[in-house]
Amino acid sequence: MNPETGQKFAYLICFAVISVTVAGYFIGLQSPMNPIGRGEDQGATRYRVAGKSQHQTKNSNHQSADAIAATRYADMYAALLSRSQTRRSHLKDLKSSVDSLAEITITDSQKQFALAMRQQNRAFNGAPPTIPHPVEQLSTQTCMVCHGNGVKTETFRVSKMSHQFLANCTQCHVEAVPQNFTATEFGENTFVGLPAPTGGARAFPNAPPTIPHSTWMRVDCMSCHGPTGLHGIRTAHPWRQNCQQCHAPSSKLDQVQLDAIPQFLPPPKIVK
Amino acid sequence: MTTNEHPAKPKFERRQFIKASAMAAATAVANPSSGFALPVLNPGEPVLDVQWNKAPCRFCGTGCHVQVGVKDGKVVAVAGDKNADVNKGLLCVKGYHVGAALYGKDRLTKPLLRQKGGYKEISWDAALNLIADRIESDPKRFAIYGSGQWTIPEGYAAQKFMKGGLSNNHIDPNARLCMASAVTGFLATYGVDEPAGCYDDLDACDVLIMWGNNPAEMHPVLFSRVIDRRSRGEKITLIDISTRRTRTTEACQHYLEMKGHGDLAIANGIAHLLIKNGKYDKKFVESYCNFKSPNDEKPNLHGKPISFDEYKKQLEPYTPEKVEELSGMSADDIRMLADLFGNPELKITSLWCMGVNQHTRGTAMNTLIHGIHLLSGHFGRPGDSPTSLTGQPSACGTVREVGTLAHALPGGRVVANAEHRKHAEKFWKLPDGRILATPGYHTVKMWEKFCTPTDQGGDIGTIWVQVTNPGQTLPNLNKLFNPSEKLDDKFLIVSEVYPTATTRLANLILPSAMWVEKNGIFGNSERRTQQWFKMVDPPGEARDDCWQTIAVAHRLFERGFAGMKDRDGRFIFEVKDKNNQLVPIWKWENYYDTNVDQHLFEEYRQFTKYKHKDLAPYTEYVATRGLRWPVVERGGKWRETHLRFSEGFDPYVESGKGVQFYHSTTKDDRAQIWFHPWIAPAEVPDKDYPFMLCTGRVLEHWHTGSMTRRIPQLNRAMPTAYLEIHADDAAKLDIRNGDKVKVESRRGELTLQAWINGRGRPPRGTVFIPFFDETLLANVLTLDAIDPFSKQPDYKKSAVKVSKVKR
Repeated sequence: MNPETGQKFAYLICFAVISVTVAGYFIGLQSPMNPIGRGEDQGATRYRVAGKSQHQTKNSNHQSADAIAATRYADMYAALLSRSQTRRSHLKDLKSSVDSLAEITITDSQKQFALAMRQQNRAFNGAPPTIPHPVEQLSTQTCMVCHGNGVKTETFRVSKMSHQFLANCTQCHVEAVPQNFTATEFGENTFVGLPAPTGGARAFPNAPPTIPHSTWMRVDCMSCHGPTGLHGIRTAHPWRQNCQQCHAPSSKLDQVQLDAIPQFLPPPKIVK
Repeated sequence: MTTNEHPAKPKFERRQFIKASAMAAATAVANPSSGFALPVLNPGEPVLDVQWNKAPCRFCGTGCHVQVGVKDGKVVAVAGDKNADVNKGLLCVKGYHVGAALYGKDRLTKPLLRQKGGYKEISWDAALNLIADRIESDPKRFAIYGSGQWTIPEGYAAQKFMKGGLSNNHIDPNARLCMASAVTGFLATYGVDEPAGCYDDLDACDVLIMWGNNPAEMHPVLFSRVIDRRSRGEKITLIDISTRRTRTTEACQHYLEMKGHGDLAIANGIAHLLIKNGKYDKKFVESYCNFKSPNDEKPNLHGKPISFDEYKKQLEPYTPEKVEELSGMSADDIRMLADLFGNPELKITSLWCMGVNQHTRGTAMNTLIHGIHLLSGHFGRPGDSPTSLTGQPSACGTVREVGTLAHALPGGRVVANAEHRKHAEKFWKLPDGRILATPGYHTVKMWEKFCTPTDQGGDIGTIWVQVTNPGQTLPNLNKLFNPSEKLDDKFLIVSEVYPTATTRLANLILPSAMWVEKNGIFGNSERRTQQWFKMVDPPGEARDDCWQTIAVAHRLFERGFAGMKDRDGRFIFEVKDKNNQLVPIWKWENYYDTNVDQHLFEEYRQFTKYKHKDLAPYTEYVATRGLRWPVVERGGKWRETHLRFSEGFDPYVESGKGVQFYHSTTKDDRAQIWFHPWIAPAEVPDKDYPFMLCTGRVLEHWHTGSMTRRIPQLNRAMPTAYLEIHADDAAKLDIRNGDKVKVESRRGELTLQAWINGRGRPPRGTVFIPFFDETLLANVLTLDAIDPFSKQPDYKKSAVKVSKVKR
């Protein structure tokens, strides 16, 4: 082998090595430390809460104890969102789906579904709901941004606050699944909460039903029964603003102290 | 527009069917021509079967009233009580879920006796005999460790049983760990315990100063009362003087950070400036105050009297610059505080709780806060009040008023005073000289003696624990609780509702009824006495703590134990019904034949007039959401007192006096303004243990979490204890969020997860661990140094080192 051929080979080897290095560097940047051999489970992680297994979509994978995958910067935003179980919204889905004038029909199963949904994050009817997303630990100012008015899109619903403004939100509402801890059950509990009523009593068919729950801390009927509420418990006539004009509250449930037996003046004395 | 009315699908249950049929029949009879009855739609809605009744919340010392919904013998719902003055219908997340605290699956339902390898279920009869045997064999070495969660009748019965029955003063409550320094602070200043103001001050104050206090998490209903005022447009200045940032800080205009024990210097600095600037209230001080400084030769709550000039001289070193050096708070902030106190137009309320009380100079710090309020005249008007808060529902009612402390007797009396003993012997119908004059062991001493072998002077042999969890809450557990495990002749009796860190070492476990499973009376932080009735049955063989005490007393009585007889030879807890017939309340099946609470309460009421803490008859409390003592009958009505010592509010203030401290220790109707010097904490960080550890609570869990950790909504939100550490310190130690870290003190070590920039944010050099988690006991680390007057330990200042646990 003459020295010239040797030199050519050396150039070739150098070129190959540099190409592989450069290509490898960029490939590595693009998806660092992706564990191999995940098969179809790739991209999904599972955790247990309250005996229910829940799925979370993540582009990175958090399953293996020995290889914790880093999240790509490009996916960071989505990963944070998915941690809060918020569905990723496409631009077209972000359009508000609130239509106050839509005709409302409700089937019994829709109503049952709505009540079941409500029950998921309440210990009993009347309990403050737990928060289904992570919260900022120190500040409650951000709550009002969304919960002040309520939002509803095709894929997303934020309930409107039903009570008057109270400044310390986390005093009553706690995270259902804390962001910073893996929730485990400590001791089982056999408490069975009061279920939500399925409707108020009516004096006769088509009479306006009475309000079957307390109205205390439920100042704004429209937060649950209005356009951003769950479909199954929406009012069919959202344009009528004075709810209690027709729907009577219960003095007992509202802890009104004036529950006395109605008294009457004595009847005229009949002298024979 | 059409509306699809959801058709009613009546699912008639038998009772409703009968009801509906009867109605149909009645309608048919009344109006035979109509031919049909109106259909009842949506029948049998669950709400209609629920019985609602009032009770104070089981948890903290705020004393919110709840409405408890009961259906088929079970608590099914809880609502804030709209007619309660304390909370006006609002609760916190613990209060809303308090009903579920009864239904943890591992409720204790049978008496359990420790045997080799485990526990054996025994009968109540055998359990009572065992306790009676232990007491009879050595009544002087028996002790009761009680609680600020005892109801007033429970604590009163235990108090009478020990001091009146066994002539034994070894009875002390967990409240010793919680508010003993508040008591000594009030006594040293006013000569009588408990705040002069009340929660109404929160509605009237212009400035709220929180001293080492995090009410946004610990007393959220009270905190909301203030910040909700602000959201209605009122102007209130909130000031957080603290050693770490908390949720409270976020709502405050001023966060004034200080080092541990910096508060002593800050209070002196404010007093110094008030005098130097001539901004103190000369008229108030000259009319109503004396000056005191501690008597170093003979430390006691009377101290030694000093003149105003001596007081002024002692304060001289506390210039803003010097205070900045001692406390870490800037001199400008100290001037700002002094200017606020120097402004007579403002109404200033101070709140404090564990930060000031769990302090080796807790008594001093309590008196200093009262001192600056008195010196500046911010006292005695609505909104101008130094108010200490309590952490337990009846720390005030059962501990401070019933006096279930080793040195006390009911109604503000002490065992060392012969006249006071005579009062108690008279009310209890006991022979003269039955009550011992020597105080018993305070909490730390009691447990130290229990953990010391008998032949080395450990002269406490048996402790009966009721309604508390010392295996988790005592400081320095490796010294004050854990050693008893190895001492075979010691015997630990624990009345509990759930297995806890205390039952772990118990020889005998007694299953107890809790909250609305029994009648009860609590006394909250603002002198409010609150009553409730039993609403549901306790599970299995669980029984009232009060019954347990009375049953043991009667077992001793049956055996002829002299102490259980009064001077006429009758049982000390004898109860007669309306027909003068004896009710055998020591038998469980007869315990609710009468209202034992009412009998005990009416007997206890006799004690309350002496220190002008008058209580109304039991029936008055049934009809109200609590009344603040003194409750005095005027014009045929029982009236409560909002503001003590102030004319126009307090019926015991003579007219024309303005402000009258009628229990003054100097007998001249004056309060005492104390000087106390700054003193360093009992343990400070050094080279080996470079961090200051603070312990405390979180919003979701109450006390040791034995109840709240069994409530899924609360436990899920806050499942485990953690270490709070500053991000810079964490970075230096290579600790990231969620990393396991080892925390070591000179007394023990603990491995747990780090949470950086989480719920609370300590400054550099400080770490925080909440104590609620029974599997991660913060108190293996804490120091057992105590305040010299109140004997209360300091849980907020222990030196520790922190290291990352390598995997």
